[in-house]
Amino acid sequence: MSFSLDRRKFLLGSTALVAAGSFSPAFAQDKRLRLTWWGGQARADRTFAVADLYKKANPGLDFDGEFNAFNDYWPKLGTQVAGGNAPDVLQMDYRYLVEYAKRGAIAPLDDFIGKALKLDDFDKDQLAGGTVDGKLYAISLGANSVAMMVDEAAFKEAGVPAPTNATSYDDYKAMAEAFNKANIRGGMKLLADGSGNEPALENWLRQRGKALYTADGKLGWEAADLTEWFKLWADLRAAGVCVSPEDQALDATAAIDTTMITLGKAATTFANSNQLIGFQAVNKNPLTMVSFPRAKAGSGGGHYRKPSQFWSVNPKSALLEDAVKFVSFFVNDVAAGKALGVERGIPCSKAVRDAISPDLDDQSKIALNFVSNLGDLLGALPPVPPAKAGEVSTQLTTKGQEVAFGSSSPEDAGAAFFKEATDILSRAS
Amino acid sequence: MTARPYDAETSRYGRAVTPSTWSRLWSANGPGYLFLVPWFIGFFGLTVGPIVYSFYLSFTNFDLLTPARWTGLDNYVRMFTADPKFSASMRVTLLFVLFSVPLKLAFALGVALLLNRGMKGLPIYRAIFYLPSLLGASVAIAVLWRRLFAGDGMVNQVLALIGIQGPSWISNPRTSLWTLVALAVWQFGSPMIIFLAGLRQIPQDLYEAASLDGASKWRIFWKVTLPLLTPVVFFNVIIQTIEGFKSFTPAFIISGGTGNPVNSTLFYTLYLYQEAFAFFRMGYASALAWVLLVIVAVFTGISFLTSRFWVHYDE
Repeated sequence: MSFSLDRRKFLLGSTALVAAGSFSPAFAQDKRLRLTWWGGQARADRTFAVADLYKKANPGLDFDGEFNAFNDYWPKLGTQVAGGNAPDVLQMDYRYLVEYAKRGAIAPLDDFIGKALKLDDFDKDQLAGGTVDGKLYAISLGANSVAMMVDEAAFKEAGVPAPTNATSYDDYKAMAEAFNKANIRGGMKLLADGSGNEPALENWLRQRGKALYTADGKLGWEAADLTEWFKLWADLRAAGVCVSPEDQALDATAAIDTTMITLGKAATTFANSNQLIGFQAVNKNPLTMVSFPRAKAGSGGGHYRKPSQFWSVNPKSALLEDAVKFVSFFVNDVAAGKALGVERGIPCSKAVRDAISPDLDDQSKIALNFVSNLGDLLGALPPVPPAKAGEVSTQLTTKGQEVAFGSSSPEDAGAAFFKEATDILSRAS
Repeated sequence: MTARPYDAETSRYGRAVTPSTWSRLWSANGPGYLFLVPWFIGFFGLTVGPIVYSFYLSFTNFDLLTPARWTGLDNYVRMFTADPKFSASMRVTLLFVLFSVPLKLAFALGVALLLNRGMKGLPIYRAIFYLPSLLGASVAIAVLWRRLFAGDGMVNQVLALIGIQGPSWISNPRTSLWTLVALAVWQFGSPMIIFLAGLRQIPQDLYEAASLDGASKWRIFWKVTLPLLTPVVFFNVIIQTIEGFKSFTPAFIISGGTGNPVNSTLFYTLYLYQEAFAFFRMGYASALAWVLLVIVAVFTGISFLTSRFWVHYDE
């Protein structure tokens, strides 16, 4: 079949198209809510499933979703906010919450509570986590805690008992000799190198009675603490407990795909409890989780029930009311809760939690059990981190590498990082 | 009633004798400028406007989300007195330019000389050698490079065949920058094409005269080819130096946007990007951009000033 079109026909056709478009009722009325979040495919599938549920219940509303890896997410969101085309609903992180709230880039939601936003059986500590200066800016999508992903099969192969919630850094060191002697999977190590990992540092500081940040947004530690931290890791590195600096540097962006456990370089890796589902999706061996290592035997209080991530709403959104309604649906609807599972953390609504717990899959049960049974590991929720906490975390990674590759001693790096972190915080406008 | 046609007549007459400046300009170039209007809109709206605005922003603390506040020279003062990352990124970029540009040009000239010997299928070879340049700045190539130079990448597999245990090139601060230099050198296509065109311009009789005088091939290259090619070398040096300073994508992809390990791939442009879009210091990033402009201008200026000592134009 041949298809030809002269210019007159083409013009006629396109005019007709334009006319059809401008008069079509669907074109005019279809509201499109834009969502954006960070995460992998597993999270995207679940998020779109909830969007479909909401669409069915609210005809005339449609969704556009965008997702990115965590490190790519923030530059893009910042640019969108500055350009005035931020999405209507955006995923927010504890580290960036103050920054966005103080600049008016996310909307306070207090006026919607009890109306578009139902929070009757919502966990109080999770609400507090989304509050800045007394106003609610972000709705927690689940509680989680830091956790070590553990490849149990690797420990079986090596003939070394797998770590537990009681295992300390010293214990890992003691296990290393036997583990390395077994020389499994081309020289797999016990630990990823956590020296540049901000959550690992925070956990260790808290066990020692310090904090990453104080309530007034200052550093909660001193140069000496950091020196000791870098020394601890230098020691573990020298003893072959953790992976080589070269291997650790392969994990440039903290994406699940490049973590040491996924690359097969280490039998454990520092992560978050809700990420088990994401990790399992790209790991062949069944994974489980234990707590971050104890600073010393019996020391606790390092972990806390953290809002794993939030939904926040763009204050300039033309669909503000719809956006808030969707957020409310997302955290309260039982069917939505079933679609989401615990991939973003343990749901904060009691009704949703009760409804989904009977038929969770194995990984979700592990995550739920872990967060519910932290025992003496559990401490209080730290204050919301100050603006620029994200940059401090990035700088810690570089500093950790400096020590690991030997271009800086733990003493110098501790003092230098204290100075750099102070400088970064003081530059926050 | 009679006066009007008379007036009209004089004015028309007067205009014809001494046309106004405007109408003279119009009749000379007016239609041309009219056709250029779309370009003017783009040039002033999308290029000059943002450039001027960024100059203004470089004196502010603009953070993308709140209105800019004037801070005077603070950004520039900080850069030169209190910013270790600025000097680190400057060092990385200078090393990159210093090594990648000469190596790339030497490689390009070598291949151009080979291709200039009148072989069969020249257009095909030329196209093949040019291909990497077309792909060069793309994300896909940077990803490929990451794979090639990873600890278990192909480079190390080949090295293993001859018994060498290679490091993980991209994740070691001692080698990561050199993988980027190698990537830049591999994209030698466009200077190579320009060299090739330059070589074709050299009169054949000079070669004949030189070889009749018994000059060796090596000597002919140094005494005939290279001096006559210097204008092309000069052009390539300037273009490639500017390209080198502007290089961004490979470092961004290979280091996942971090410039790590240990800031070893923190190109100046990557640092600028981080400040602007990761840490929201648009004012500081604008200042960084203007300093880069000055640096590139200085390097280009040096090339021009020294050119009269080593560039020979055929008189």
